[in-house]
Formats: sequence, structure tokens, C-alpha cells
Amino acid sequence: MLTQPGAPPASDGHVLNPLREGLSSDHVTDPCTIVFFGATGDLMKRMLIPAMWNLRLENLLPTSYAIVGFSRSNLSDDDFRAQMKDAVDQFSRSGPAKDPLWSDFAQHVQYVSGDFDDPRPFKKLRAQLEDNDKKLGTQGNRLYYLSTPPSVFGKIIDQLSAAKLGPKDQEQGWSRIIIEKPFGTDLDSARALQAEVIKVFEERQVYRIDHYLGKEPVQDIMALRFANVIFEPIWNRRYVDCVQITAAETVGVEGRGGYYDNAGALRDMIQNHVINLLALVAMEPPISPSADHIRDEKYKVLSALRPIAGADVSKVAVRGQYGAGVIDGKGLPSYRQEPSVDPNSNTETYASVKFLIDNWRWADVPFYLRSGKRLARKYSEIAINFRQIPHRIFGETGDTIEPDALVMKIQPEEGVTIRFNAKIPGPKMHIRSVTMDFNYGTGFGVVSAPAYERLIGDAMRGDATLFTRWDAVETAWQIVMPILEDWRGSVATDFPNYPSGSQGPSSADALLAADGRTWRRI
Amino acid sequence: MPVHVDTLDDVASILERLCKSRAGAGPGAAVAATMNFVVFIDDDAHRRWVLERAERIAEKHPSRMIVLDSTHAIKGVDVSCGSSEGTGATIRNERLDLGIAALDHESIVATAHQLTIREIPTVLWWSGARLLESRTFLGLAENADVVVIDSSGKAHDEETLAELCTFAERHPHVALHDLAFLRLAPWQEMIAQFFDDPALRADLFALSAVEIESGSAAEALYLGAWIGSRIAWEALDSHTFRTRDGRSLSFERIKNGEQRRILRVTLRSDHSTYAATLCGERVVRLSVEGANARPPWLVSLHAVSSTSLIERAILAPGADKMFEATLATLRGLMR
Repeated sequence: MLTQPGAPPASDGHVLNPLREGLSSDHVTDPCTIVFFGATGDLMKRMLIPAMWNLRLENLLPTSYAIVGFSRSNLSDDDFRAQMKDAVDQFSRSGPAKDPLWSDFAQHVQYVSGDFDDPRPFKKLRAQLEDNDKKLGTQGNRLYYLSTPPSVFGKIIDQLSAAKLGPKDQEQGWSRIIIEKPFGTDLDSARALQAEVIKVFEERQVYRIDHYLGKEPVQDIMALRFANVIFEPIWNRRYVDCVQITAAETVGVEGRGGYYDNAGALRDMIQNHVINLLALVAMEPPISPSADHIRDEKYKVLSALRPIAGADVSKVAVRGQYGAGVIDGKGLPSYRQEPSVDPNSNTETYASVKFLIDNWRWADVPFYLRSGKRLARKYSEIAINFRQIPHRIFGETGDTIEPDALVMKIQPEEGVTIRFNAKIPGPKMHIRSVTMDFNYGTGFGVVSAPAYERLIGDAMRGDATLFTRWDAVETAWQIVMPILEDWRGSVATDFPNYPSGSQGPSSADALLAADGRTWRRI
Repeated sequence: MPVHVDTLDDVASILERLCKSRAGAGPGAAVAATMNFVVFIDDDAHRRWVLERAERIAEKHPSRMIVLDSTHAIKGVDVSCGSSEGTGATIRNERLDLGIAALDHESIVATAHQLTIREIPTVLWWSGARLLESRTFLGLAENADVVVIDSSGKAHDEETLAELCTFAERHPHVALHDLAFLRLAPWQEMIAQFFDDPALRADLFALSAVEIESGSAAEALYLGAWIGSRIAWEALDSHTFRTRDGRSLSFERIKNGEQRRILRVTLRSDHSTYAATLCGERVVRLSVEGANARPPWLVSLHAVSSTSLIERAILAPGADKMFEATLATLRGLMR
């Protein structure tokens, strides 16, 4: 709703820009410098610089801005710009970059080379940022993005502090830091990293990024639940039999064997992406869409997850590792044959876990989570499986009456499917399952921006809604630690236990079969 | 293939043909429609252009499209159902092309109304030349939830805008959208950008002149009225605003270039000049000169297709308050 025209004062006493009201970008980004640590890495090339370029094309960057790449490689500004141009040409959704806009953008791109252990390049970075404030009008606002291996997160934060680049050293403007996942490799390391972070940044200045949360269908989970009256009354133990959350990939480790062999599916996917989906599905309605109110509810529901005792791990969690197999007619090697992977690796490439939530809404409703590589199909979804009808009056003896289901499709399809039962036309009362589909692409005829564009834009505007707060990160680690410790301490003698291109290990089927249920087919 | 019905007299017969056409999509076909999409055409030269865009929208949005064709290109009614490629089981859209050249306005309005699905919203895309003079427009608009027109690029831009202002005043319940206004969104963003810098914001309230160079009148009038509406300027006549503090401010329009395109917007205060100048096919140079001088910067000008603009109008929730405020200021400019 538009306010009265004129010169409305903001709560801080400043006059707002009345021309902004009612426009699509009515929340303006402050002038700022964005510093990317690990700027010559793969993430920068594939995702981050294309995201920045597309924000520029969409006129979503502030008028005064600078992008500083920081990495070990010895490059000049022009060398770095050339690398970034190549990356944009190759990976940007908008196609190759063209002049004169690219030249204008490139003028705002700078580079600082140096080792993360060395204080000198951080002093140089400080001089560069101060120069940007003076010459480009970035007003002391800084957004740091850690896209390095997690092992150097702490070092970079220490060096920022030593070079007086932290928020406490600022005379004007704001500082925020985006930290890529994984935030720690277990509970202890996460707490140690958090201790490093809060020495320099306050929690409100920390943006822990999980690109899954920037996907449009993930955001729509809340819209589906809290912008409709028809779903919330049945969103509880009275109507829901179980919830299945799946993040299945067909790819293997794709050159990341060295990293992945120290991570595994539980750390790489379940502890962050998949548990975040669980929180969005299971949380209570927040009192407002503000970042803190939503994150309060997510934390509360994660706190209600029933702790898993070490002795019970084998009853609620299953691990798997892919063997050789065939996907799309192409023969693929086993995980242990992948480059940089230990030939006797004990790392899981598949994990499924059964969680219970001890609160009034969800008591006794199992949440089955699974994620794996080299499975039969690439897809992510959340399936709410409803209970069987209490009394069957329709259908012949041989008819199957499937329980209803609501499926939120996250990728590659984005939409919602509802499965329900209908009568097959004819003189007899035969019943069959049918589906109703809603697809974002065709439903609204618009393509949503990639997650990184959305999330970087949000961080620049100071909107932390789609970023994970420390209490949720810590709780997620606490939840998975017993499983992690059990698996770390025991050799999986059956690895590899599922062929590439399959539905996963048979032990995962047994996990659900023990409860009288089956997985939705991948 | 469309099924042809010779006469429009029997609506029941048309709907019966529609049901038969649906059945042709295969057993178990489901019908999904999100809107009635009524498209009015009265210009032979424009007919193909309108139909192509309407078809693109219908392909993306499951709908019942009712084409009211007043150009003599067809007689009777063509009825068809489009099914989605691959599945063959889901009807994505239904289409009725009605040749209405021989019908009076009451029959057109009544027939269109009877052919709409009652439970879903009706969007009217009116590509006709005149508004208030057309009783068909008034009748169709009365039954529509959303009305989309394009006031730009016609022979009588200013008259169309004047009619639109009157219509909006008389029919406040209709969610009205003008493609000429929607097309201005990138320019609105650019002009707003000048004053995002708090140091320059005070100058927005000290402007003394606005100059807009464009290929057709609608763009310049809308842009001037939009700026005025946001800063509470009162339009005294077509070339003068009065600011809240009682100053006079000149508003100059220069006609130059292609229709529907803006070439330059210049805002002047006593101390500085703010200019947004088209300097390439899709690039605009923004500059601030004078006391508040800033280094010039470039922004991309997205080419937004008419199809996308119509989609925006369709998907917009309810009335566009910013457009309504602009129309209120525009009324003063049109006096």
C-alpha cells in the first residue's frame, strides 16, 4: 500500500525516497563493497560472479559498489577481470557478457592476492576498501563472502580483525559476513568456528548460507502452509501418517572426492539442507515473516527433535555407498574408484534417518529423511503422506485405496502435487488414485532467479530470513552427532551396498518396512 | 483442428461443441483454467500481432480464451481445445474465436458473458481504438475483473488517456492496467535511483523542471504524472505543476524517435541536472551534473515484451495503487 505522497520520514528520521514506493525494488541496497575470499575457486566462477553480474543486469546492485576478489593466485586486476568475464560467458543464465555494460561492471571489479596466513594482503585489502569508500562512495559498508574451504574460515576472520576490518573497528557503515556451508565438520568444530566468528562479528551480522533455502519452492513451503486455510488444519499427527523428505542426485562426487571423502552424505546434505526442509515443514506458524520470528520457530522445532541414543543409531539410521552401475546407459565406477577417494573408504554416499518430533503437533509421526548420490533420478521433494481412511465403504475387494498425499517438488520440477482418490467412471464403485499438479513454471509463467542471486541480494539488503542462525546450526549438529560418531567408529562391512542408478541400499527399505511403510519411488 | 459453428445465436450450441472438442483430447482429460481471457480486436493491421501475443499467454496460463474479432476476418465461431504436449491428457486451454463484425454491442457483451466460466476471474485485453465511445468496451469492462489496454502508439494517445482517466474515475472497482504505463517500469527505477543517495534526496523536493523526450505522448505524460503523484505535485495545466510549497515547475514534452520509446528524461533543480539518456539499444546513461555532480553510470534497459507486460497485469493482485495515483495526477495534466 502506498503512503501519502510527499516526503515521509523514516523511523530513523531520514526522508525516504518517495519515488521508490510501489516499484518492484522498493527496498534499496546500500552502497557497499563485496569481498569474495576464495575468488579464483569453482564456486566463484560457476555461481557467485554470474550472480553478481545478473544482479547488475537486473539493476539490483546499488549505484555505488565494488567487488573485490581475494585469493592466493597472483593476478592483476585485469587478469582477474578477464577470468571473471570468461566465467560469466560460460555460466551466466543471461549468456555472454556484452559491452558497454560489462566494461562498466568490470571497472568495479578489483583483486587482492595473498595468503590467508599473511597479514600484509589484509592491510592491502583495508587500503582498497577505504579507497573505494572515498572514490566510489561505498560508505564504509562491507559484505565479506567466505567461499574458501572451511579450514581457513577462522584464519580469515582473525586476519579481518587484525587488519581492523571488523564491524567493531568501523567508524561508519555496516559489515556483514556470508559463510558457506559446511559450518564445521561436527559439533565441536562448529562451536570452535562460532567462537572465532563471534569474536569479530555479532550474530545479526553473520549470514550462514545454504543455497537450498534460496530456491523458490523452498520459500513456497511457508506460503503453502500459512497463506492457505485448507492445509493447516490437517498438518498434524491426527491426519499425517509420515513425512518423507528426499534429496536424490544422479551425480557422483564430480571431482570433489578429496572433500567428500571427509564429509559424507550426513554432513553434506542431511545436517543442513534436509534438516532445514524438515524445520520449514514442521515448524509452528511464525507471528510475522520477519527473519527472527521465522528462525525462532525453526529453532523451536529442531529443539523438539527426539535425541538419538548411540545404541539406537542402527534402528533409525542407514548408510550406503554406491558401487559401479549404469545411469542413462552410461557405465559408472564405484565410489571407491573415484579420483582422490580412499579405495577402502568408509564414507557414506547415502544416508537415511528417521526422526521423531516430541511436541503436540507431531508426536509419533515419523519424518524419514534421505539423501544420496548416484541414485536412479535427480529430484528433491517433501512428501506429506496422510493416514488411511478410517473405514472403507468403496471399492471392490481387490481395489487398493491409497492414502492421500501432498508432495512439494523442489527440483528439478518446482511445484505441488496432491494425490487423492476418485471413482473410475462406470457402473461399479472402483476407486483409483489421481493427481492434481501445480507447476510454478507454467502456473505463473515466470522463471525464478537462481538461489545465489536471491541470497546475495538479501545479504546486501540485510535480510537474514533465508540464512541459518547459529542456534539452528548447533541444534542440527547435536541431532546428527550420535549417528556421525557411531558411523565414524564402525566400519561398514557391506560397502558398497547399492549400485549406481538404483533406489539406494536395501537396508533403507528395511528401515521403513519395520514401521510398515515404504519409500516413495525415486 | 478448430470446430466451426456458423452462428453465434446459440450459445448452448457453442458450449456443446466445446465439450466435444474437449473429449477429442482423450479419455480422462482434465480441464484446468485459471482465467477467462477475453481479447477484443477491431484493427486489421493489428490483428495478427494481438493474436500471437494472446496465444502465447494462453499457452502459459490455462485459460478459456474468447477472441472477439470485429475485423471481418472470421464469421461464426471457431472452437478449439489445446492439450499439453507429451501428456495428451491435460487440456491447457480452450479457445473460442467469435466473428462479431455484424453484431450489435449488446449481443457481443451478452454472448461473451455467457461463454465465460463463472468461478474464475475474467481478464479483458482491449486492443480497440477508443474506450468511452465504445459501448462494447464499457459493457465488457463492466463484466471483467481485470482490464488491460495499451494507450500508447495510437493516433490519439492523449484522447485515449483522457478517456482512460474518466473511465478509471467512474469504475473504481475495475483493476485497470495500461501497457504504456507498465512499459515505463525500468525508467521509473532509473529515475528513482538518482534519489536513493540520501545526499541527493533533498533535491527531489527542489526540482524546477522536468523534460521528457519520447516517440509517443503517453509515455511522457505517464512519467511526468508518476513523478508528480509521488511528490504531491498538482498539475495546473499540460505544461505546469505546482509543488507542495507553492512553486511552479515546468513540464516539457519533446516528441522524437520511435513510438513507445523514451529517449531522455531530464530533471532540473536550481543547482543540479539529473539526466537519464538512452545511449544504445538497451543501455541508459545516468548522470548528475552541477552542485551534486556524480560520475555517470550505465544501467541496462530490459526489453520487456508486450506479452510479459500483459502477464504482469494478469498476475498483479488487485488494483495498482501506483497507477491509480498516477491517473489522478494525469487528470490534471489532461485538463
